[in-house]
Amino acid sequence: MNDNVIKVENLVKYFDGRCVLDGINLTVPRGCIYGLLGRNGAGKTTIIRILLGTEPATRGRTLLLDTESTNLSPKIRGRIGCVAEGHNLIQSYMVSRLIKLCKDLSLQWNDESFDNLMETFRLPRDRRVKDLSMGMRAQLNLALAMAIEPELLILDDPTLGLDTVARRQFIELAIEVIQKQDRTILFCSHILSDVERIADRVGILAAGKLVVDCPLEQLKERVKKLRIIFPEIPPENLYLTEIINQQIQGREMTITVANWNRQKQAILETFKPSSCTEIPMSLEDIFIECTKPEQEVITSS
Amino acid sequence: MFTLIKREIRDHVVYFIAGIIFAGTITGISLSVIFEFSTLYRGMDKLMSHLGIVIAITSIVIFGFFAMGAAQMYTDKNRRISAFLSTLPVTRSRILIARMITGVLAILTLLVPLAIVSIILLRIFTPPIPLFSGVVFEVFTAMFLTAFACYCIGLQAGWNSSSLVPALDGLVLTFILVSLILVKGFGLHIIMILLLFIAASLIRIWHLFTSTSL
Repeated sequence: MNDNVIKVENLVKYFDGRCVLDGINLTVPRGCIYGLLGRNGAGKTTIIRILLGTEPATRGRTLLLDTESTNLSPKIRGRIGCVAEGHNLIQSYMVSRLIKLCKDLSLQWNDESFDNLMETFRLPRDRRVKDLSMGMRAQLNLALAMAIEPELLILDDPTLGLDTVARRQFIELAIEVIQKQDRTILFCSHILSDVERIADRVGILAAGKLVVDCPLEQLKERVKKLRIIFPEIPPENLYLTEIINQQIQGREMTITVANWNRQKQAILETFKPSSCTEIPMSLEDIFIECTKPEQEVITSS
Repeated sequence: MFTLIKREIRDHVVYFIAGIIFAGTITGISLSVIFEFSTLYRGMDKLMSHLGIVIAITSIVIFGFFAMGAAQMYTDKNRRISAFLSTLPVTRSRILIARMITGVLAILTLLVPLAIVSIILLRIFTPPIPLFSGVVFEVFTAMFLTAFACYCIGLQAGWNSSSLVPALDGLVLTFILVSLILVKGFGLHIIMILLLFIAASLIRIWHLFTSTSL
């Protein structure tokens, strides 16, 4: 059995002649919590929809639990929990009816864990799904996804539309559940602080490409933002590869470089700068730098 | 599969109730026609007026099955029901098969009581020759296939509801089918045409439903 729970090979997707995904390659090993980031329309949801087989790919191959997404059998689907963007539940149903439907269709169902979550979230069973608030729908969706005790959990922007308190509550409960049961999670969000708290590996989508795909800690170590002050006007070209962003203001130059190492540092020192200081970067700073046009690709070595 | 069928039936129970009501209405009209025709000999004009009502009701019922197919697919697409079901251990093929079984059950809800009543009435009022039982079989098979063909057109029209042309095409096709039955009558040749038509429709729906995005 392959140790990669999710595998995406050279995935290409066009919408009305517009390329949304341009040769995406991605693997998520078993037990990994993978945070997929990207700006609006970057293609995060499209990747998830293709993975789940609800959207056909233009080219390429996607595998979930060693099975092609287009051929996912009910047995395989039964091992995958999913919280879709916008909490795509059947709105006209009573909550109790929706729960019964999911339970009847599932291959396994943990009543105790589900009832605990329903109690923790204080979700009513006697109301229609459409009458629930956005936060309640998100919580119901997570409870339904968790009740089947999935090997793989796919969360597509699960906190979208939630207020700060509901979002925090959702994330904390998600972390609790994740820690309790060792499982693989593909987590996709706009809220970087959520990803930073949960993910141990991140991928950043920009302009249809996966520009970052490495462990979160490695990403923070390898992307450096430097403020360099030169005695005179800074040189036009530093001859450094993988410069993500470069700004010059008077004698001061600010650069963001991917895969920073001693060689690059040595090259920089040949220009004899007066000073060189590192500016600390959060995941949000890295994300902003990486999603600018003409970004470099950062992958784990 | 049973859960999916149960869900479809519960969501579209109105069509089953309508089927029972129409079956009752048609049976009532048929009984009154036969009673009047056999006992009072009121003449052909009265019989024709009752027959007209039966034909009108049958046409409404046939268009009703078109509406049922369209409603099933339209609500699915509009409320993204299959998109949700696809996140559960269910394949698209199973969703579609469950949907079509529900359609068949709705048709049978209407036709089976009618067939039973027809057989009983024929036994009572016609001589015991095999010709009549053969006629009942042909008529009800053709009626079932017509209803199912219209239902299939409805499924396609409902799935393509974002544009007006497929929906209108579906209505025109249903109208042509009903007209064909009314002009040519029921028989083996109509059954063959309907079977071919249904096979083509099923292939088209299956392709549409399993290959497009949900």
